[in-house]
This record gives sequence, structure tokens and C-alpha cells, in this order.
Amino acid sequence: MNALARRAAGLLLGTLCLPLAAFAADVQPTHEFILDNGLKVVVREDHRAPVVVSQIWYKVGSSYETPGQTGLSHALEHMMFKGSAKIGPGEASRILRDLGAEENAFTSDDYTAYYQVLARDRLPVALELEADRLASLRLPADEFAREIEVIKEERRLRTDDQPSSKAFELFRAMAFPASGYHTPTIGWMADLERMKVEELRHWYESWYAPNNATLVVVGDVTADEVKGLAQKYFGSIPKRAVPPAKLPLELAEPGQRQLTLHVRTQLPSLIYGFNVPGLATAKEPRTVHALRLISALLDGGYSARMPARLERGQELVAGASSSYNAFTRGDSLFLISATPNVQKQKTLADVEKGLWQLLDELKTTPPSAEELERVRAQVIAGLVYDRDSISSQATTIGQLETVGLSWKLIDSELDELKRVTPQDVQNAARTYFTRERLSVAHVLPEESAHE
Amino acid sequence: MSDRSAPRYTLIGTGIIALVVAVAAVLARPAHSEAQSSAARPANTLQSLAELDGKAPSRRQLNIQNWTTAEGARVLFVEARELPMFDLRVTFAAGSSQDGNTPGLASLTNAMLNEGVAGKDVTAIAEGFEGLGADFGNGSYRDMAVASLRSLSARDKREPALKLFAEVTGKPTFPEDALKRIKNQLLAGFEYEKQNPGKIAGKALFSKLYGDHPYAQPSDGSAESVPGITLEQLRAFHAKAYAAGNAVIALVGDLSREEAEAVAAQVSAALPKGPALAKPAQPVEPRAGVTHIDFPSKQTHLMLAELGIDRQDPDWPALSLGNQILGGGAFGTRLMSEVREKRGLTYGVYSVFSPMQVRGPFMINLQTRAELSEGTLKLVQGILADYLKSGPTQQELDDAKRELAGSFPLSNASNASIVGQLGAIGFYNLPLTWLEDFMQQSQALTVEQVKAAMNKHLAADKLVIVTVGPKVPQKPLPAPTDKPSEQPLGVPEH
Repeated sequence: MNALARRAAGLLLGTLCLPLAAFAADVQPTHEFILDNGLKVVVREDHRAPVVVSQIWYKVGSSYETPGQTGLSHALEHMMFKGSAKIGPGEASRILRDLGAEENAFTSDDYTAYYQVLARDRLPVALELEADRLASLRLPADEFAREIEVIKEERRLRTDDQPSSKAFELFRAMAFPASGYHTPTIGWMADLERMKVEELRHWYESWYAPNNATLVVVGDVTADEVKGLAQKYFGSIPKRAVPPAKLPLELAEPGQRQLTLHVRTQLPSLIYGFNVPGLATAKEPRTVHALRLISALLDGGYSARMPARLERGQELVAGASSSYNAFTRGDSLFLISATPNVQKQKTLADVEKGLWQLLDELKTTPPSAEELERVRAQVIAGLVYDRDSISSQATTIGQLETVGLSWKLIDSELDELKRVTPQDVQNAARTYFTRERLSVAHVLPEESAHE
Repeated sequence: MSDRSAPRYTLIGTGIIALVVAVAAVLARPAHSEAQSSAARPANTLQSLAELDGKAPSRRQLNIQNWTTAEGARVLFVEARELPMFDLRVTFAAGSSQDGNTPGLASLTNAMLNEGVAGKDVTAIAEGFEGLGADFGNGSYRDMAVASLRSLSARDKREPALKLFAEVTGKPTFPEDALKRIKNQLLAGFEYEKQNPGKIAGKALFSKLYGDHPYAQPSDGSAESVPGITLEQLRAFHAKAYAAGNAVIALVGDLSREEAEAVAAQVSAALPKGPALAKPAQPVEPRAGVTHIDFPSKQTHLMLAELGIDRQDPDWPALSLGNQILGGGAFGTRLMSEVREKRGLTYGVYSVFSPMQVRGPFMINLQTRAELSEGTLKLVQGILADYLKSGPTQQELDDAKRELAGSFPLSNASNASIVGQLGAIGFYNLPLTWLEDFMQQSQALTVEQVKAAMNKHLAADKLVIVTVGPKVPQKPLPAPTDKPSEQPLGVPEH
């Protein structure tokens, strides 16, 4: 989970005098520039250790895919390790491994990203390899024939044999009726079964252009150094037109949807999701920051409302959580999940009642000054803690850029959140926590299907 | 073997709760691996690679300071002034291997630390840490139990956070209502585990591998053992296992030596007085063989294990390097190359030595579609047998050494990674120069030494094997790809 989302929180209230001056003066030097071919480069200096992380982020992911072709972005990510003009299948990984680098890649609904973490003197190798597969991926058919089997194993491991993941996949499909967020990133099994390497080539040629990518480098480097290397290795890759990418927009108030699933589990659980905007689609950014604040009030720590009241006070749940990712390319979901405390004979109905009490209270009663102060303290500290990891800094920058926001949000976040008022919190709760925006899943053990 | 602080003690490790929290996270990352396992390199056309000078990279120099507190806690400290924060990690020999006849006792004690101190209940404690922006963390494993704190270093944050941390770690009150609640959560966690074939396989494997030894038990205990645990047992366990003499204090961050000494003194003084606990006995050799557990999953989980080594074993550098070549990395290992790359049988296959206070396990684990599980198991056994018989090639060893040298700078790049290393050095009583020593010893190893060490500790016919999955008619394995490693590298095919 990215740093901003994990912090999940807001800042409040004009009455608080924030000790931010020293803090703001202390931000790390960060530079951005764009090559002539459209490749955007962001460099953040961190000279604590002679190491560096390089990440390249492509604006393509499962929300760009169409029915029948789900899983393409992720499958292409796998095939990016299977050779390009200068190297054979798998060779880049061997080279990087021998240099002591950590490398991998990840795909989500909004992006596909590749990274290497390595000693600073090896950065040119990482960049040359990355540029080579952007310019000249081979996509051999025989490699694909084996790799698609690996991907099916990945799906079995992470989704089909995991009852909770399987339930969540179906829940998302229901909660996003209109947008590409409907699609699971790994793809439906039926689509994996019929995927062709030609489709991957088309996907690669459509989206893997320098003008559709962001290169992020964080660590013991200077902007000039990275600029020279980026120009040297990426500069000659031609700019290409990419298809128009439309933001994943959802129905504002689709109406309540309900799903009951019987899966191979011992305990019942429930998922709630409210259709809400993200920062990139909200008309008023303040409503988004208010939702982030609500998520922190509910589940921003062990003292937050859900653990303090539902888990401990009422002993209604064995566990519960809320999450809200505001940093999406399109509309988002405000998610809540909970498992009833069955030892105390609590049912899903009891849990739903308890959840609505929390949500309704947000609509009517402003949060206390102490609660807001705690959230504020966590945000301020979190901004410092995040700087201990070069990878998490790079990931935050890359994700923000790739969903159409700016990395500069990191450094202005405190100010953005400061503007949220208790009234904003109440307005957001009233607007968004409604039945018309709600999807519900009841995830039940298989036995009850026969009762 | 110890996770850094989670904001709360996570009792339900899997399930929808974790899943929804991770919703924004990346869904799919390949632990891709690669072929060409032993081909000569570099024959590619990479300009940047040719320009590297072949020297080991520079790395951050750590000045590890150490001392012992008045009460006998060992302290390791690295001053790191770059960020206005610090990490404190206190490790106790208080894991489940000290459970005695009460599996789950160590885990419950650890989970109860932050449930109450004099004048504060669990919510007040949480509000205390969170109001300062401080992260308290705790966790309990087989050998060790950990309590950790990450805080801003400014005095007005640091001092109250440390005061609360010292109370929580040294003077917990163990409220009765909290014990009931946490037991219920643990029981819910055990129920959740029943849907997870990997978890089922892991539990069965440790049980078969360790028999009557305390490592055989899951560190959280079981649905049978947890309900009967009493407050008196927790108090007695805390009094002996959280004693200062049984603690190692690791500290990294924006503190002077004097401040660090004061922090360590404060934490140590708050702990019960007492000596270090004795290590568990060495386990006895298990009986080799295969155990199958029927489970209605699509994949079959395969786990293969033998007893490995303890952390003091002088063969550790040779085994670590030997294992790195066999299956210790994400890509390029023999196992990944043969099982995933050439045959597409699995998403990931890994081998690992886990050196512990006494002989920890050597394990290989993977998952594959059920109808190919028998063939895949034979394939993996064959790869291990072949590796033991012939040892690594010179090329493999040279590559592994280069990799190790190259990755060294990454190992101490963050405060979080440094504090973890200090904790391990202290807990396993390793010399302060341990990291440097390990590097030097590894670089000096020969093919024969690695092969000899692997064969001294492992044998192809000693494997304890657990498989979990459905019983289905078996199919033959697909033919492997036609040896890409024999093709010249770096020559574009088209």
C-alpha cells in the first residue's frame, strides 16, 4: 500500500498551530524534467546510503482492458522479462541478480511498474535494460506458452484457492458496474485460457511509449547525473501516439447491490463498499480529504473507532477494517470489512447494525478535538517515517504521477488536509454513506448453503 | 523472522480484513526467474555492463556501539542523524520455544503487553502512542518475542513515547477482559487458517519435522491449548521471560550516545530483574517420509524439509551461498529455472535455511496444479539430489559471490533494516563484526567447501515431505524447454 494511502489521514483545524516550518524546510531536493520524446523523469535525492531505486511506471493496467481480454496488462508485465533486442529471455534478471540488485514488477488497475534497487554505481545498467525492453520487446511465442501457465498458477494460488480473495474479486465486479475497475488485474481464467501472444504485442505497441511513462529515481544521485543517463538510454526511443485513455467513471448512485457467497471458509464475514470519487475525479478535493480523514477516524490506529468500539467496547467483531484509496485514476470505493465475534454469538446482522451506528454518527456529530489531534500527529510523523525507505518514496511519486496527479502532493499534503473542517466531514458522510451507493457482500461458510 | 511493528497485533493474518486493507496495493508481481542458469556471461551487448569496473560497490559504514545496562540487557546502537526519528527494538528470548507445556503462552503474553498498564487501559495506551505519532509494535515467534517503537526524536515526542513504551514492556497489568477478548480473536484466527492450504501444510510440516520438540508447535498455540491459559501463567511468564537479562535492546536513529544510553537505561530499568533463559534442547532427527493431507483446492502445496542448523554454526556462510544457488533467490536459481522457467509448473519455488537458536529447518516450498503434483515433487527431489551430488559449478559460485557483494549496500540503507540487523546480532550473540565477517568468509569459499557443507547437513533421502491438495488422477509433466542455456546469449534472434 502506498505511503499516502497508508497514512490515510487528514489534518485538521485552524485552531491548531502546526510546528511545520522546520519540517517544510527539510523536504528532500526533488527535480522533474521531460525528455523530447515525452518521457517524464522525477529524481528525488537521498544521500544517506550509496544506493538507488529506479522505477518506470506505464499508464496502463487492468482498468484499461476490455471484456474478453482481461489480464493483458499483467501478462505483458510477465513477458517483459522474456527478452529484448540486447538480451535473451530472462537474461536481464540474471544480470541484475549478479549485480546484487533487487528487481521486480507490479501491475494494478491503473498502472504497470518495474523497479530495480541497487548500488548507485550500477544505475546505468538498470536504465539501459529498462530502455531496451521499452524499445524492443521480443515476445517469443514459446516463452509465452510456458509463462501463461505460470500466470494461471498465480491465479490459482492467489485467488481461486483463497476464499477471501475470490469473494473480493466478485465483490469488486459488482461494486464497479460501469468502469474498468470491474476487471480483476490478474484476469478471468477463461480469458487467460484464450490469450494469444499477438494480443500482448498489440497491447505493448499501444501503451509502451516513452510519452506514456514516468521514470522515478530516488537515492544517492543528482538530477544532472540522471538526466544524462536518461537521455543516453531513453532519448532515442521515438514518441508514439497512444490511444485515448478515459478516466474510469462510475455511476454516482447505482442503488444498493447485495451478494451472498458461500465459500470454503469457517467464519462468516462481510464487505461494504460505497461508490465515492477519488482525488482525480472529485469536483471538490476537500470532500476527498474529508473521506480520508473519516477512514483514519474509523481505522487509523488501535485507538480509532472501529477497534476501540466494535472490536473492544462492544466486542461485536473479531476484526474490522476500513480503507479508502483516494489516489486512483478514476472513481473509488470506500471499503469496510468485518468478521463477527462468533464466540460472543454475534451475527452479520449485528455487525451491520454496529457499522451503521458508526457511519450515522459521522453524519450528525463532529469529531472531537482530541481525535483530530491524534490523526494530525500520525500524519506528521508518517511523513518523516516514509522517508526511511527510498522505495516507498519512489512508489508514492510514481503512483501519483501515473494516476494523473502530481508528486508535489506529497509535499503539500499537510496544507491540503488542514483545510478540511468538521463540517466537511459531516457533509461527506451524509453524501456518501447512503444505501444508493452501497454494495454489500455476505461471505458465508459452505455448510450454511445446505441448511 | 520478525516483522517490524505492525500498528496492531494482527490476530487474523489472512482473510478479508487484510485483503481490503491491501486493496490499493499491487495485485500481481511475478517472482519471475530465469533460465540460462549456468551459461557463460556476459555475452550481451550492454554498454553499461561493460563499463562497470567490477569492483565491489561502496556502502554505508556503520559504527555499531554496544554496552550492557546495569540490569544486564545487551544494547546495540547506531547513530543516524539524517532523519528526525529513531527506531527501538527490544528482543526477548521469549518465543514459543519457551512455552513449556502450554502452547500459545508466549504469544498471548506478547499480545497482552499493550492491553493495560497502571492507570491506562488498552485504548488509553493506543491513544498515548498515536497522539504522539509513535508506532508501537509487538510480535512473537518461535525463538523470540519483540516489542518495538518508532518515534520522532524531538524531546517532546520522544520522552513520553519512551515512558509509555517502558511501562507497556516492563509493567503490563494483563487485564482479564482483554485476555478473554484476545483469546477469542486467536480462536477466530485458527478458524481462518483452516481455509488456507499453505498454512495447513506448514503446521503439519513442523509437527513432523520436530516431533516432541517445542519448535513443533505453531507459535500462536492451538484451539486446544489457548482457552485454558490463565492470567497467573502470563504474569509468571512475563516475570521470567521479559527480564532485563533476557533482553537485547537495538537502537538506531537521531540520538547521541548519551541519549541512547539514557533510553536503554530507562527501558532496562522498567523490566523485571532476572537472567537470560536457557536455549531449548537440540531437536532429534525426524523420520523421513511423505504425508498427504486431502484438501479441496485447485493446487497442491508441496513442502520438503530437513533439520538445518543453528545460528552459531560455522557452516552458515557456505550453506547460505549454497542455498542461494539452489533456490534462495527470486530468479536464476536451479529450482526456479527448472520448475518455473523451463516447465511453467509453478508461480514460485524457494528453498531456505532458517538458522535458529537450535537447529532450524531447511525447507523447499512450492505449489502446482493438483494433477501434476506427483511429477513435480519428483522433479524437485531430483534437482536437490543432483545438486548435492555434483555441487555448484564454478560459474554459479562466482555469480553468487558477486551478487552477495553487490547486495551488501542495500542491507543497511534504511534505519528499519539496520535495527533489524542489530536485533539479530544481539539476540544470537554474534560478534559486532558479524556482517563483515560473513562477507569475507563467503567470498573465500570454494566449490568443494560449499558442496561439502551442503552434504554435511542435507541428504536427498532424509526429506520430510508434506503435501496438501485434492486427490486427482496424475498427468505426466510437460517436456522442458529446449535448453535455452545452451544458446549463445546476447545475440538477438529477430
